[in-house]
Amino acid sequence: MKVINLDETREKLSNKVLNNIKASHDLGLLRCVQCGMCTSVCPGAKHSNYNPRYMVEKVLENDEKIIENKDIWNCFYCYTCHSVCAVGNSPCEVNQILRQIAIDNGKEDEKLKYFASYGETFLDIGIGGMPKSFFMTLHEDIEGWLDFKAELEEIRKELSLGPIQMPQESIEEVRKLLNKMNFDKRVKRLKKEEKE
Amino acid sequence: MKPIPDKNILLFKSCLISTEYPGVESSTKYVFDKLGIEYTIDHDQSCCTGLGHYSDVFDQESTTLIAARNFDIAIKNNHPNIVTMCATCYAINKKAAKLLNNNEKIREEINTVFKECYVDRKYEVDSIDPTENIFHVVEIIYNKKDKLKDLIKIELSDDLKIATHHACHYCKVFYNDTIGGVRDPNILDKLVESCNLKTVGWFNEKRTTCGAGFRQRFVNKDLSMKVSSEKLISLKDVDILIHMCPNCHMQFDRYQPYIAKKTDNTFKTMHINIMQLIAMMMGADIEKVVGLQTHTIPVNIKAIKNEDKWKKINKAKEKLERKKDKKL
Repeated sequence: MKVINLDETREKLSNKVLNNIKASHDLGLLRCVQCGMCTSVCPGAKHSNYNPRYMVEKVLENDEKIIENKDIWNCFYCYTCHSVCAVGNSPCEVNQILRQIAIDNGKEDEKLKYFASYGETFLDIGIGGMPKSFFMTLHEDIEGWLDFKAELEEIRKELSLGPIQMPQESIEEVRKLLNKMNFDKRVKRLKKEEKE
Repeated sequence: MKPIPDKNILLFKSCLISTEYPGVESSTKYVFDKLGIEYTIDHDQSCCTGLGHYSDVFDQESTTLIAARNFDIAIKNNHPNIVTMCATCYAINKKAAKLLNNNEKIREEINTVFKECYVDRKYEVDSIDPTENIFHVVEIIYNKKDKLKDLIKIELSDDLKIATHHACHYCKVFYNDTIGGVRDPNILDKLVESCNLKTVGWFNEKRTTCGAGFRQRFVNKDLSMKVSSEKLISLKDVDILIHMCPNCHMQFDRYQPYIAKKTDNTFKTMHINIMQLIAMMMGADIEKVVGLQTHTIPVNIKAIKNEDKWKKINKAKEKLERKKDKKL
């Protein structure tokens, strides 16, 4: 016989997920029947140990260890599972929420630090694009990528396109707004953990 | 089908279109002008945060704040119909609009941030409808596909094999709003057909993600490339793969030589965004409008032939019609 834990002082993981800002208001997490359709269509599951059905099972079992499970960082955020779920659940959305909980707990994947430069660039110029920390990798993997970057302005002129960046006033406005939201602190925290 | 606008459009600037495939923006403008679609670009609009958001760097609150600012810009510009060239901008903005309309707490939090920063912006509930104000550019063109047929000037060889790659963040995220099928996506195939071309239709990997997977391309490269290479290998006999998202476009166009080397394969597939294809088929200048010079895989425009023949056919038609008119 299964014992139901009646300790209600701790919020259940499934509730935490459903109450997270990222959760769609009609997220069918509690309707999951463990059919495994999500895992059968998942590119991450096909080529790694990530298993979205198992991840949802653990959330429903209130097993918080899933938050620190490294395999959840192999989801592609392609939403293929989300698009085929028969009960309106979204393992993809659940995954994003678990990762955010891990970040809030300071237990994020250690490789996340490399992506902090996305945030830095956004605070600097209000635009994302490829993260600075990977420019050299991109240059090594893609022949002519950096050369093309050097010609970008000229090509854009040839195509009669406007500036890439916003006017300075808007860049400053965006920075001010994001700082008020404490986004700068979040980026700094992720960046600080860049140990290399 | 949901109502599709043809005016008051804010053409939403995308970071990857701007910095990787700017020809998609110039092609979109060209096609919009030809189809008489009224639009504007607002340089105060910021990037949607998408790449950072799906790399888990941006929290949902910050992304929604940025979206609320961009919505305010669109509304104040009297161009509240947000049209994106990137599938991720589409999904990010739709999610943010839903949140801002349904979640009073986040809406108030964001409006307070605007106030406390002395920024003259506000998000009013339901001022942007996620279904009726946010679109991907392919939807705008799909709505005009009959008019599009009359503007096609170029003819391509019949034996060209063309396949389509439907971006996940267009098809799969807000699937109730997707036009042209989710499990069997076809909106790109329909647009290719409007250019008097045929596609290969369904193929086994048609729904498969490009493999970029945001973080995966960078920190799990083997995993990312496995997914991309499976799709590329399934398309080995295809000449052109049609795209609708710059991130997918980048994954295949930029990494095709890398994957060829790693998997010991040769690929001949060229990668073109649907708007570049349409502009090209309307006769736009390849360097000054279509912008194929930023692609890694050269697009062999010699494959495009019969432009003169096409013109002659049209002239012959015109003559016939003039004769008919005279007779009447």
